[in-house]
Amino acid sequence: MIFSELYSAYYSTVASLISGALEGRITNADISRASFESAFDESAVYIEQALKSERWQVLTKNGETPLEHAPSTPETLLERRFLKAVLSDPRMKLFGISAAAFPALDGVEPLFTDEDFEIFDRFGDGDPYDDSDYFESFGVILRALREKKRLEVFAESRKGRRVRLVMTPQRLEYSEKDDKFRLTGCGAVKQDVVNLARIRSVRIIEGEAGAFTQSKRAIKRVCFELYDRRRALERVLLHFAHLEKQTEKLDEGKYLVTLYYDEADETEMVIRLLSFGPMIKIIEPESFVSLIKQRLISQMRYNI
Amino acid sequence: MAYSELIKSFNRTREYMRQFYIFGFKSREEYGMKSPRSYDDEKRRVESWLGEYMRFRQGADGKTVFLSIDSRSAEANPLFKAWRAKSFTDIDITLHFLIFDILYAEGVALTLGEIIGGIEKRLGEFARPRFFDESTVRKKLKEYELEGIISAERRGRSTVYQRSASLFNEAEPPMLPHALRFFSEVAPCGVIGSFLLEKYEKNGAKARRSPVFGFKHHIITFTVDEEIVFALFEAMREKRLVLLELLARDGRSMTERVVPLKILRGVQSGRQYLMARTEAGRILPYRLDNVLSVKKDEVCGQFDEYRAALAAMRRHLWGVSTHGRSGKRLERVEFTVRCEAGEEHILARLEREKRCGSVERLDENRLRFTAEVYDASELIPWIRSFICRIESLKISDGFLEARFRHDLEKMYALYGVGGGAE
Repeated sequence: MIFSELYSAYYSTVASLISGALEGRITNADISRASFESAFDESAVYIEQALKSERWQVLTKNGETPLEHAPSTPETLLERRFLKAVLSDPRMKLFGISAAAFPALDGVEPLFTDEDFEIFDRFGDGDPYDDSDYFESFGVILRALREKKRLEVFAESRKGRRVRLVMTPQRLEYSEKDDKFRLTGCGAVKQDVVNLARIRSVRIIEGEAGAFTQSKRAIKRVCFELYDRRRALERVLLHFAHLEKQTEKLDEGKYLVTLYYDEADETEMVIRLLSFGPMIKIIEPESFVSLIKQRLISQMRYNI
Repeated sequence: MAYSELIKSFNRTREYMRQFYIFGFKSREEYGMKSPRSYDDEKRRVESWLGEYMRFRQGADGKTVFLSIDSRSAEANPLFKAWRAKSFTDIDITLHFLIFDILYAEGVALTLGEIIGGIEKRLGEFARPRFFDESTVRKKLKEYELEGIISAERRGRSTVYQRSASLFNEAEPPMLPHALRFFSEVAPCGVIGSFLLEKYEKNGAKARRSPVFGFKHHIITFTVDEEIVFALFEAMREKRLVLLELLARDGRSMTERVVPLKILRGVQSGRQYLMARTEAGRILPYRLDNVLSVKKDEVCGQFDEYRAALAAMRRHLWGVSTHGRSGKRLERVEFTVRCEAGEEHILARLEREKRCGSVERLDENRLRFTAEVYDASELIPWIRSFICRIESLKISDGFLEARFRHDLEKMYALYGVGGGAE
């Protein structure tokens, strides 16, 4: 079972409280802090009640513990089986990890294999995880991110030109749809984004610590009416489930949806919204409506 | 029953999380719960777990509660928190910490009697110590043996218990926490990776963690179906039939006995399906968000044969549908797009998105896509995404072809293009 108390936030909180009590008596403030860090908004009240009334006999009402060791639990079979499964994933190699690192997993049945699971709508030009240069670049970038170092990147642009970027790396961003990693970071004047597969070489600029200022993403919004025919409501909302959004019911079968997206993804958004055909009508902004209209006007000339 | 932020079963919460996050427009009255208090309790729980993402809107129909999450900026899937809300008894939590305090290190092997002695010694410090009889402790040890965290071994006439060896040690790969973070987000049953990561960090490696990954196009709601996915993986590993309890469109539940063959995830559609062989001998997709429960049944002797049949079908599957509306075995889809000089990205796009179809260049400015599929209707949304350059379209199912054109006319009218207006 995945849904088990062994993984519960309360167990985590109590474990850290016991560790604290081994150092010295814990207080209500400690319970609040530990609950805030490991559990939920209202947990402190319940955990404090249970401990103070000595219903959970691991801490006394005085904040002491009769236990002798900092709590730890071995990995469950479920966790071992999950690890065994992902060790077979081709992307695991990027982290320099192979199954040989975990001899204790010999004989453990993987939770799943690629016979059991597949993504069916992923694009076909995913990153080359077996390519040695790619592997090397990934490792250098990961190190720079961990050690907060700046990077010098030589990459090939979409038009085939060689470009040089000096950046403070921020994230390795992965898209499941594209099956691609992109490196995002702060360049000299703007945020840089480079596909890892386009990187020809990358090196850490030793001695230079990155400033790590998070550049603000340019977020835009698009608002459209949705007509719930052919299960469009469900299809649209699931399709855009990854975006911040608001949905309002206007009438029976008619909804108003607002999506927030990155400015850089505007063309992708136009294409995706077009795919829902007459089940949606873009309302605003006018600039987005124009983008849709332009495509429709271009389409009309073919008179299919 | 008094409110608790912990829950016994995940199923009802699963539906609420989906409603709040994906739909997010229903008012309290529209949830159709047995009592308004049930709704209030569920809402309060989700707020307790995910308060920072909870939003409210007051409309004419009442107050609407919804979750608004930009998965691209979240460091880890926020919905994982719900998996950490399993309820337990006072006995469960007390015994858990006592047992692992007594079996505090690998190699400490004790009999049941010795463990009970250790428990009594520790509980002696409480004014009213709990009493644990042999059967309660033995039952908990047995449960932990099945979970793989305790091992039992016969030594002479008695059984000794010890904690299982930890996977993590000094020699573990330095990039492991990053790998766990990554696979927590992208692998099926990824929440288990997040449990592992927490355990790893508790073992003193927290300093090594820093947020290095971001995720684009990331559908975080897949996680609410992970218990179902897990049960199906179990059945597939054992090559068993299952009894699927399904939610029908009319809201009632029904049960089907099928051979589970593969989970197919749509990272664009946001849906997950089980491909399974029915008792009538067809291979059909079942949406996982409509599966209420999975019960393992007998072993299926033809499992490999059925799976091979599914693999052979893949060359005609655009999505998951194995039969179209026309009733014909296969439908042919063909369309041509215009591609001007400097628009080579259109060819690249067709190539990377073609799935089971094929793409050919007809001349300098024209590209043709063709596919033979079980269900041509699955391609329609994708074909629409090429609107502005579609020169021709042929679908062997004439109804679908006509509907495509009709929809296009409706779009012209919706936007007042070409003189039309709706």
